[in-house]
Amino acid sequence: MVGGTRREELEALKLEVNSFLTSVERYNSNNLPKFEKYVQLQVSENMYDLEANLAILKLYQFFPNLYKPEIVCWILLKSLTNLPNTDFVLCRCLLGAGQLDDLNIARIAYLANLLELCQFKRFWQEKAQDANLISQITGFDDAVRKFVCHVVNITYQSMDKTILKELLGGITDADLRSWIAKNGWKEEPNNMIYISNQDEHVKTKNISEKITFETVSVVM
Amino acid sequence: MAYRRDSYRKDSYTRADSYRDGRIYDDEEYGGYPGHADQVSNNRKYSDFGNKDDFYDPRGTSTQSYSFPDAVAKFIIHLYQSINNRDVSEIENLYEIRFPQLTRDYFKEEKWPQDITHLVDDPLFTTLYRELYFRHIYATMSNSLTFSDRCNSYSNYCELFNMILTSPEPIDLTLTNQWLWEIIDEFVYQFQSFSQFRRSPRLNAEESQYFKEHTYIWSVLSVLNVLYSLIEKSNINQQLRAYFNGENAETVAGDFGKSPLYKMLGYFSLIALLRVHSMLGDYHLAVKVLENIDLHKNTMYCNVPACQITTYYYVGFAYVMMRRYADAIRTYTNALLYIQRMRQMFQAKSYQNDQVNKQTDQMYTMLAICLVLHPQSIDESINSVLQDRKYADKISKMQQGDMKEFENCFTFACPKFLSPVPPAIDASPDPSQEPLQIQKSIFMEEVAQQIYLPTIRSFLKLYTTMPVSKLAAFMELDHNTLMECLLCFKHKMHNIVWSKGVSSLDGDFMAGSEVDFYIDKDMVHIADTKVGRRYGDYFIRHIHLMDELHRALKGLKF
Repeated sequence: MVGGTRREELEALKLEVNSFLTSVERYNSNNLPKFEKYVQLQVSENMYDLEANLAILKLYQFFPNLYKPEIVCWILLKSLTNLPNTDFVLCRCLLGAGQLDDLNIARIAYLANLLELCQFKRFWQEKAQDANLISQITGFDDAVRKFVCHVVNITYQSMDKTILKELLGGITDADLRSWIAKNGWKEEPNNMIYISNQDEHVKTKNISEKITFETVSVVM
Repeated sequence: MAYRRDSYRKDSYTRADSYRDGRIYDDEEYGGYPGHADQVSNNRKYSDFGNKDDFYDPRGTSTQSYSFPDAVAKFIIHLYQSINNRDVSEIENLYEIRFPQLTRDYFKEEKWPQDITHLVDDPLFTTLYRELYFRHIYATMSNSLTFSDRCNSYSNYCELFNMILTSPEPIDLTLTNQWLWEIIDEFVYQFQSFSQFRRSPRLNAEESQYFKEHTYIWSVLSVLNVLYSLIEKSNINQQLRAYFNGENAETVAGDFGKSPLYKMLGYFSLIALLRVHSMLGDYHLAVKVLENIDLHKNTMYCNVPACQITTYYYVGFAYVMMRRYADAIRTYTNALLYIQRMRQMFQAKSYQNDQVNKQTDQMYTMLAICLVLHPQSIDESINSVLQDRKYADKISKMQQGDMKEFENCFTFACPKFLSPVPPAIDASPDPSQEPLQIQKSIFMEEVAQQIYLPTIRSFLKLYTTMPVSKLAAFMELDHNTLMECLLCFKHKMHNIVWSKGVSSLDGDFMAGSEVDFYIDKDMVHIADTKVGRRYGDYFIRHIHLMDELHRALKGLKF
């Protein structure tokens, strides 16, 4: 029951926030409490809204006295759940010099760097130390795993099961099976997993020029 | 790439005559003008008694004595009359040719006359004139630009925009699009100049105090307010949506939007927002405000080249920060090809040349950076410029991983970054550099994350298949580290690329690397892209040139 009303609250707030974003209201600092509540709901209800979050960071940029570090941490962590999109970079560009020195934010930036470098094993090890910071974000771990699967999907044709387990953060066999199913992969003998037929996508290309009628029609 | 002949033509008036005439504004040609002969005589020099105690001085004291050259007085009156008569071609002549000419002749180191009310007593014209007056100071006499000048210029803009925005009906004013663009462009430029000035160590205590008591002067919110109001007043977003959908924009324009003045001010305000947001580091919003403008088809809508080039420059830069390198490369090559085509137009207007040249240089530099991070083949005519020594040196250094070179190129080519607020009390010794340092460090971090990519790419180019262990040996990395690098390569080369739709933000994830690979168990399978020689562009370009030559020859009178 509680979950239901929170979801409704989220939907209603989303409409209101969207109306701010389409006008100068997005620069009105009086709207900050609503924006901040919206972030809170995004965190608890596993939902994500890039534009609203960027608008909050912008308001903090214009009104540094209203800056709230916890909200910024949440926004940055949520942006990581949208990898491989570069949302984290967009958010960082709106932070001021002093804010980047905040220990928590520096820590999040470090974890983000590990993810961008695809150093997934190290990421899971390091992340374990930040349980307080991250545990509030519902669905954070799964979002990162989704990103890992995306990178695996574009890189491998088949790979070793043990390696995959490591990349996904040392999950249980049961969980691994469900991720394999979710991505449409196939378990094969010899502890291998078949990802996809990369041969189709990654082929030697010979690009020769195609001159279309439209290009030539201009000069005819 | 289709070459648009139409972009050469103007959709409003033909300007061919004004250039061909080569009209010379001979002072003797104009006789005296009624009513003012007693106040102006030849060769008296202008002197300015500014009131230095009050920074905020909208009108200047009326006890000033002023005297200035005849030609200048005639110009001012002539300009006023042309605006009144809505004589667009004459306005263009006076604004684009005569005004710079007089500036060169009389005002290289002096200000234009500050008070012209004895010549023309019209509040709207006065604000327009004063806008030119301040613009000249900023451009030509920036060393003698005072705090009072900045404040007065701000109040002049407020007056001008107030008149335009609060009028119950569209005001009856006809100016050229070039002039309107330059008003908006200068407005944003002066805001940028003030934001940097406020963080400058040269700011003295008195000015600092004055500013604290009058925070609305050149504040980011007031600038944004003006731009948003112009956009809303003109219904420009609705008009653009209709235009690119092939519908009639008149139906959604509204009373104000139908007036070309409001429509173009609305359009230029969108570009100004692109610029302001980029300078504040908000790249997403910067590109989003243009979501109703199809950047592949808008040269007809906006016939001001400087505006078009500025648009390309900022959109390209935003794409780079968003790691959409393919889109950035496409935008920059479109921009540079556009500039190549428009070159001939700039020769006549020397005062625009500097800015266009600078932006061209910056775009080539950004393009060089993009091509190092995301190698791909581009248009031959642009590529040949990049092979010129100036850029080839930089490119080869960056390809070898010279981080300093990346930094230098970025610093040269990036926009002027701003902070919307004054520096903190405990700020670094030179807070004016802070915004730039922040953006630069974010970019450099991205470059650092990609540091292994060129090496991997060079090895991949040599083989079609290779065991992972062999590649690890070549790169002198252990197996695990190499796997991470390979994953990173795939991740970094898989970015959002625009393919269709009006908004430049649209796009899908696509593999962008010309050298691609996949891993099967322990083997790396590599695929390279061979690009065949392109000849279509070359022929079409020469057909166009021939065409132009043919038309020019036909037009010659013997």
